Amino acid sequence: MKFILIILFLTECFDVSNAQQRKSVSVERKMLKIPAGNYKPFFVTKSGKPIKVATFKLDESAVTNTEFLLFVTANPEWRKSKVNRLFADSNYLRDWETDLAIGEKNKDIYNSPVVHVSWFAAQAYCKWKNKRLPTVAEWEQAGNAAPKNIKYTSLTEYILGWYKKPNLTKLPNIKTTYQNAYGLYDMHGLIWEWTFNFNSFISNGDSRGNTEDESKAFCAAGSINIVDKTDYAGFLRFSYRGSLKGNYCIANLGFRCAKSIE
Amino acid sequence: MKYIKPGLSHLILLSFISIVLSCNSNSGNADVENKLDTVLTGNITAELTDAPVVPKPLNYNSPKRVIVQLDVIEKIMKISDSTEYTFWTFGGHVPGKFIRVRQGDLVDFTLHNMADSKLAHSIDLHAVTGPGGGADATATAPGQSSHFQFRALNPGLFVYHCATGPVGMHIANGMYGLILVEPQSGMTKVDREYYIMQGDFYTTGKFEAPGLQVFDMDKAIAERPDYVLFNGRVRSTTGKNALTANVGETVRLYVGNGGPNLVSSFHVIGEIFNKVNMESGSEINRNVQTTLIPAGGSTMVEMRMEVPGVYNLVDHAIFRAFNKGALAQIKVAGDEHPNVFQKLK
Repeated sequence: MKFILIILFLTECFDVSNAQQRKSVSVERKMLKIPAGNYKPFFVTKSGKPIKVATFKLDESAVTNTEFLLFVTANPEWRKSKVNRLFADSNYLRDWETDLAIGEKNKDIYNSPVVHVSWFAAQAYCKWKNKRLPTVAEWEQAGNAAPKNIKYTSLTEYILGWYKKPNLTKLPNIKTTYQNAYGLYDMHGLIWEWTFNFNSFISNGDSRGNTEDESKAFCAAGSINIVDKTDYAGFLRFSYRGSLKGNYCIANLGFRCAKSIE
Repeated sequence: MKYIKPGLSHLILLSFISIVLSCNSNSGNADVENKLDTVLTGNITAELTDAPVVPKPLNYNSPKRVIVQLDVIEKIMKISDSTEYTFWTFGGHVPGKFIRVRQGDLVDFTLHNMADSKLAHSIDLHAVTGPGGGADATATAPGQSSHFQFRALNPGLFVYHCATGPVGMHIANGMYGLILVEPQSGMTKVDREYYIMQGDFYTTGKFEAPGLQVFDMDKAIAERPDYVLFNGRVRSTTGKNALTANVGETVRLYVGNGGPNLVSSFHVIGEIFNKVNMESGSEINRNVQTTLIPAGGSTMVEMRMEVPGVYNLVDHAIFRAFNKGALAQIKVAGDEHPNVFQKLK
């Protein structure tokens, strides 16, 4: 019963946002301040030291289809039919009906994270909002915070629980999983998210060195370079990031934006 | 770097020795290596089969370009009659598709990760000579494909598996299969061939606890499986699904062990292997009761069926057969053979 009420509530939410969308009025995505900290990287770094993450702001949730529609409306070069294939593969916004319509059949996902978007598109969106994508260190730092409104045994177990289930046919709306200690929604359990430096990981080496770092996630022998060998959720996340290219558009990959604090 | 230095001189010595050794042991492949420039005699698409079926023996005797396309599919399937599990598969079943090529073939390999997959996957084929056995070339995001080619230099029966981190978890979820590289002279003719692959599974619930069970990381790390299975399911190959043969026939089993953790003590109750290609290498052992199959290894066994009846294939670490599912069957039909076996009153 509670579940049904939640659905009704969410349905109302998207009806409102849908109405707003027609009036071209959008509410800015709330950003939350993530305090400075030391991120202990997944891979052993050359210095062996944690990476300092300065205080920054992060969108409280992933960018939705409705929000992304406003972006492509204002930026014709990012419409389905016009986008440059170098910047987004043929799956770009695959489920949208047309350039400027998510489509009536997709009304359940108006308020779900936009997926099938490339790194370039995500970065362009953030830039349009005067923001940027979070770095891996920032994202991990923010994502590692404990959930505050669900019962769970460990965050790793919770995340693995999501990984172990196949994708749902309809992606749920934002804010349907959990909220963490910083107030962020859905950092795990809804989608994967693009990060600014998704395939260079946490290396301060040159690009050739980075390529080698990537392979560490794939080879069993490389596991000696993993700091916490029981962090299976981290393993899967870094492997996933390592398999990406900037123009990939994937069914469970979306994004949220970050902003530095001047 | 500083950790390596103290042993550097030893390392150099060791690698020198291994180079010398490998030069000797590779001399058997000189033929193939000399023929690497040979013009390929056409393209074929490999026949891929689900266990226990094995692709037909190859009918060509010069190197070809063999096209292999394998899909990675994450799906919920039954691990037992009333228990389900989220398997990650090569081709939709556990074990993955059986691939059959010939020594000297150039294998043109495409790995496609289905668009509705949640995770990145890759493939390491032990038949590959090259970085990561192909894993370096095949880290594949959902909805994407990756493509590489390799020369099948060494004959034998090789395991392939996913090599994306955490590798153990991908293997524990069923991501393994077999690729047979027939020697240039082909496989000797037998009456029947079957594909069997063992694997251990780790679930939050106990053996055959009903409902959808998920992977248990702690049990996997502790190497305490709930299931030890042939072909990915309790009773996959028993009763009406048993393998079949007739009296007088020679049966060859291509048996792999995906692991991730356990070594198999493979045994057929009531039979003796006439021939075992030990660890699927070139050495042949005869008259073997139980043969070891390493995790990430395989064996090829042959037995001539003399007496009708039901023969149980087991991992002779026998609690696995009785309590964890490691049991398959061959039903042999035909006339009694009292000179060989007779039950006396």
